Amino acid sequence: MNHIVIKKGHNIRIGGVPSKDVVSIAGSESVAISPKTFIGVKPKRMVSEGDSVLIGSPLFFDKTKPEVKWASPANGTIKTIQFGARRVIEKIEIKVEGTEAVSGPSFTSEQLVSADRATLLTRILEANLFPLIRQRPFNKVANPKDTPRDIFISAVNTAPLSVDLSLLIETEKNAFQAGVIALSKLTNGDVFLTSEKGHQFQNSINQTISGPHPSGNVGIQIHHSKPMKPGELIWTVNAQHVITLGKLFLTGSYIPDVILTVAGPGASKPKTVACKVGASIKSLIVDQNLKDDVRLISGDVLTGKTVDESQFLGFYDSSVTILPDSVNRPFLGMLALGSSDSKYSLTNTFLSFSEKEFKFNTAQNGEERAIVPINAWEKVLPMDIYPNELFRAILAEDIEEMEELGIWECDDEDFALCSFACPSKIDVGSVIRKGLDLMELEG
Amino acid sequence: MRWLRNILDKVEPVFKKGGKLEKLYPIFEATDTILFSTDERTHSGPHIRDSIDVKRVMILVVVALIPCYIFGAMNVGYQMALALGETSTWQQNLIRGGLKILPIIAVTFAAGAFWELLFAVVRKHSVSEGFLVTCALIPLVMPATIPLWQVAVATTFGIVIGKEIFGGVGMNIFNPALVARSFLFFTYPARISGDKVWVAGPDGYSGATALAVPAAELNQDAVTLLESVTQFDFSWINMFNGWIPGSIGETSTLWCGVGALFLVITGLGSWRVIVGAILGLTGMAVLTNFMAEVTGSSNTMLTLPAHYHLVMGGFAFGVAFMATEPVTGAHTDKGRWVYGFFIGALTVIIRSINPAYPEGTMLAILLMNAFAPLIDYFVIQGNVKRRMARYAQ
Repeated sequence: MNHIVIKKGHNIRIGGVPSKDVVSIAGSESVAISPKTFIGVKPKRMVSEGDSVLIGSPLFFDKTKPEVKWASPANGTIKTIQFGARRVIEKIEIKVEGTEAVSGPSFTSEQLVSADRATLLTRILEANLFPLIRQRPFNKVANPKDTPRDIFISAVNTAPLSVDLSLLIETEKNAFQAGVIALSKLTNGDVFLTSEKGHQFQNSINQTISGPHPSGNVGIQIHHSKPMKPGELIWTVNAQHVITLGKLFLTGSYIPDVILTVAGPGASKPKTVACKVGASIKSLIVDQNLKDDVRLISGDVLTGKTVDESQFLGFYDSSVTILPDSVNRPFLGMLALGSSDSKYSLTNTFLSFSEKEFKFNTAQNGEERAIVPINAWEKVLPMDIYPNELFRAILAEDIEEMEELGIWECDDEDFALCSFACPSKIDVGSVIRKGLDLMELEG
Repeated sequence: MRWLRNILDKVEPVFKKGGKLEKLYPIFEATDTILFSTDERTHSGPHIRDSIDVKRVMILVVVALIPCYIFGAMNVGYQMALALGETSTWQQNLIRGGLKILPIIAVTFAAGAFWELLFAVVRKHSVSEGFLVTCALIPLVMPATIPLWQVAVATTFGIVIGKEIFGGVGMNIFNPALVARSFLFFTYPARISGDKVWVAGPDGYSGATALAVPAAELNQDAVTLLESVTQFDFSWINMFNGWIPGSIGETSTLWCGVGALFLVITGLGSWRVIVGAILGLTGMAVLTNFMAEVTGSSNTMLTLPAHYHLVMGGFAFGVAFMATEPVTGAHTDKGRWVYGFFIGALTVIIRSINPAYPEGTMLAILLMNAFAPLIDYFVIQGNVKRRMARYAQ
């Protein structure tokens, strides 16, 4: 079995680690999906306010790829459809009233193994679950007309305060296996399954990885197994979504379950919960005893988005992070010796050497400055890529140089740690995203 | 410190947009954030950040220079006493030397802060902490005998031409402190090229610097020549400790080494540059020693062994604090080896073969500053070629 060792990177020792026991919580009164958050998608709605929908009914489709539709994660009535600027659909909210789901044909394992690509692809499209599959480059919803070189699944989540995927895959072994088999039919290449503990599944190349974050990021795994070339396409599916797809084939219905963590230094009861896709943030933090000044984040602390109580869990997110949002201003802080309680740094610039968890808040800890290249980015980017030079090529909008420096292999999430570590407080990830957008525009 | 915070909060509206002194906001902002760490919060992306910032980076470089300052003051006092033929305690040396260098420091910081603040206000950017490092470095590479107006002119040149015209810290090509030093070097060569000692002593007191001793003689052995000097103690160990005449902060290899170690441990200076430079120096010195042997050249400098090169002139200071400066050096780890190596090798070449200047570290670093992007270019091209070969498969 292929084993990948990642040396560069860092596991942030953030406080508020969730317990691994999964607890069920009271369901959300309403769930929502936010069409404008999907990169490159031009949403067109298929429902109106007041319509009744089942779990799995289509809510909207992508005008650029009309066969790609989004399934309703709940059974109930459409409560609101919110439009933003230029009438882009911001949110479709559904009042939950039941648990009835659209049902379709189911497959046994044997049938899956012998099924052909067209059948399985059609089934995923008909179930309106194709958006679970994303593509590299660009990390956007895949196009069903493409045939990817390979499909990559990461069975290890190294992001701070994330769900223990290994445990989840163990409990949902059959569904996961079914998902892997189905996916393996969609590519002419292989399904690469990368895990920490060495899960063994059929119809996939099982490989293991060890090392700090971002080793769990699928982009890093692609880079170290079979790096992308310009013009190649790779599909990626979250491990939880492999289970969802597996269950779709085994049961015939969309089961919108998701396991997520509600954690972080601002959480009073950090825990792992089982809930529904698109659950309201309010329903997830209802039993947390929160201070007034906290920041709620849908997603992990490195790549998530700030949300408030009235908003909903992001489509691909499997964590809600809570951070204290008040920052104090110590006198002559730049001369402070620092301690393990007051400072957290990847450099040895403070006297903070203990390995204990750190109570992070939303402090930027400095103002934005020009780059001072002390290898802060390079130390946390486990790729054969020079981030500083790539960054500058993107700012210069030099397409050719960006390609030479490996932009095709990059995604903004892999650069989140660079922004974390940067002494100049530069948001590297958003620049990488800008570069990717530019590449896509130039075709 | 509540009262100070209150004062700052009270005057802030005056500097904010619409306030009377809104144009001076960068000055207020710099004072405010130097006294109290910023309370700026993350907007998006990673919601949490490392505790390090550029202020911390810069202030720690200044901290790394403190040993050189203290030793420098003591040595200036010691050299004065020596020149006057007096005996003195280290406390007397420290006070005497300290009084000599304080005005130089004050003038440097005044001139540096003036230009930095002026540019910040005119160009509406925030004051960059980098000027603290530049201003802390400049006095250390000046002789104690320098007229203060020259300090002011050199600092101005270093900050404005060396840094601000490129857009400030992070955009500069050359190390601003070295630009300041080289400005004096080329405009007042008689005073500062480093063949005669700079000792704050009685009028007319003079002597040859350690590097000028072997450079002045033909067909001799450099080490024997150095040991025969009676005016100063040019033994290896004394030069390593730094009790010799020279620029204020450069003489002690020991304390420069301590500063370098601090920079390496904190991760602010690249050990690759330092090791590369020592390797380059050693390699080139061994080569010149060999050449002296083989060719029978009359150049005495060629016989100077590597470990003498290491402790003489400004090499230790330059490599510890100037070459390791991350912005103007090579940006890639492989490039840093090459960059460092050539600084070391060029130092020996300039010292030994160039007839005009006894010292070469400053010029070697400035030259390599100019070549650093080229070195990086080749390193990056290596990466690009590897990737393109893979794409072509």
